[in-house]
Amino acid sequence: MGYLWDQLRTAIPLIASGNQYIFTLTWVTIKLAVVSTTIALVIGLPIGLALGLGRFRGRRALHILANASLALPPVLVGVFVLLLLLPAGAFGSLRIEFNLGGVYVAQTILALPYIVALTPAAIQGLPPGLLAQARVLGAGRRQLSLLALREAKIGVIAAVIAALGAALSEVGAVIIVGGNIANYDQTLASAVVAQVTDVGNYPDAVAIGIVLLALILVLMGVLTVLQQRTSGIHMRFRTAP
Amino acid sequence: MRLLWEELRAAVPLIFHGNPYLLSIIWFTIQVAVIATVCAAVIGLPIGLAIGLGRFRGRRVLQLLANASLGLPPVIVGLFLFELFVPHSLLASLRLQETRKAVFVAQTILALPYIVALTAAAIQGLPPGLLDQARALGAGRRQLCTLALREARIGVLAAVIAALGSALSEIGAIVIVGGNVYGLDQTLASAALYDANAAHYAQAVAVGIVLIGLILILMGGVGALQQSGGGIRLRFRS
Repeated sequence: MGYLWDQLRTAIPLIASGNQYIFTLTWVTIKLAVVSTTIALVIGLPIGLALGLGRFRGRRALHILANASLALPPVLVGVFVLLLLLPAGAFGSLRIEFNLGGVYVAQTILALPYIVALTPAAIQGLPPGLLAQARVLGAGRRQLSLLALREAKIGVIAAVIAALGAALSEVGAVIIVGGNIANYDQTLASAVVAQVTDVGNYPDAVAIGIVLLALILVLMGVLTVLQQRTSGIHMRFRTAP
Repeated sequence: MRLLWEELRAAVPLIFHGNPYLLSIIWFTIQVAVIATVCAAVIGLPIGLAIGLGRFRGRRVLQLLANASLGLPPVIVGLFLFELFVPHSLLASLRLQETRKAVFVAQTILALPYIVALTAAAIQGLPPGLLDQARALGAGRRQLCTLALREARIGVLAAVIAALGSALSEIGAIVIVGGNVYGLDQTLASAALYDANAAHYAQAVAVGIVLIGLILILMGGVGALQQSGGGIRLRFRS
């Protein structure tokens, strides 16, 4: 255990002394997680609502597709996004390859399946009569969507937390699209890979790993607290104005 | 779209010409997924059963811990194992650093949370009276375990498939532990990373197409299971 202990002992001061490199990594990682999840939420929530509430043909097939896209390997998304963003690619004129812009795009694509697949699952998990009753009572499409979102909010929050967690620990797409450039578009997780495999700076790797683990634990803590609080779904219809 | 199209066109022959490099990677990827998942099932099923069925103190805490470990970043697992395997460290005598065996070990550890957490969850999702009734009718621990596994089999299979799927597309841990050595301990996913970084895009696309093929086969398995798992049937054997 001596070696591991020594590494930990050298890693702690690196974090505590407010190392600029680790600080930048943490900031980039949080920015990436928040930006990609927010964009995915804006794009994915309407799709998720349509899948959960809609009664159109092909709804089931679309839901299966959304579930399947949860298993999309990040490296694959990375390769395809990079090929689109390279100067000779379709979106090469944007010039966002090998920088944070491209990484945002890749991570948003990876976060979308969580929002799109888990939102309808949460809506379909609502008590069977709830939405039918609202429909019978004359709720419009907008009121129905609001009701479904309000009642399924824990499921939607869980989807957001899953997307945030994936962004924190993801390395495949981030490295391929971003190029894993230190102090530029490197995240905590991709920095761990770089520090071990390229640089061989193990104390730094351990210090970065500890920060990453701390971020993940905070996220998990929030999710657990939320799940503990949800004892049953409250039915709350607001009277129409 | 031209670049993507060209790389796709260049990638397809690479797959169909039975490139030995590609074949060896495919074979190693399947080996890693299957062996790691089997090892994780052997270790994890008893733990999952204990958490799902047991009525001991700390069961809830263990379940929380198992659920939390599902969110463990693979790079952290890889880093931790790497620190154990490097010379002068605790497990240095095993000489696992940058070997295939290390990849198996890392992937087994990453597969364990799926088996443990999802098995326990599947057992707790059984109809409430089922296990109590079996207990009241005098089922022993072994019979109870068999019954729980049989009734929760869809959930357990889903756990196995989730573990297999993560082994297929995971790179964080195996790149760190195995070193992503060309032709030695690369899986399809880590080879795609390697090729993309080396700007061998056609090769990366070829590897990616095979990878998505394997994942689609797995997803097909999930779909078939979900279709056939319509309702849980109660079957007590006399």
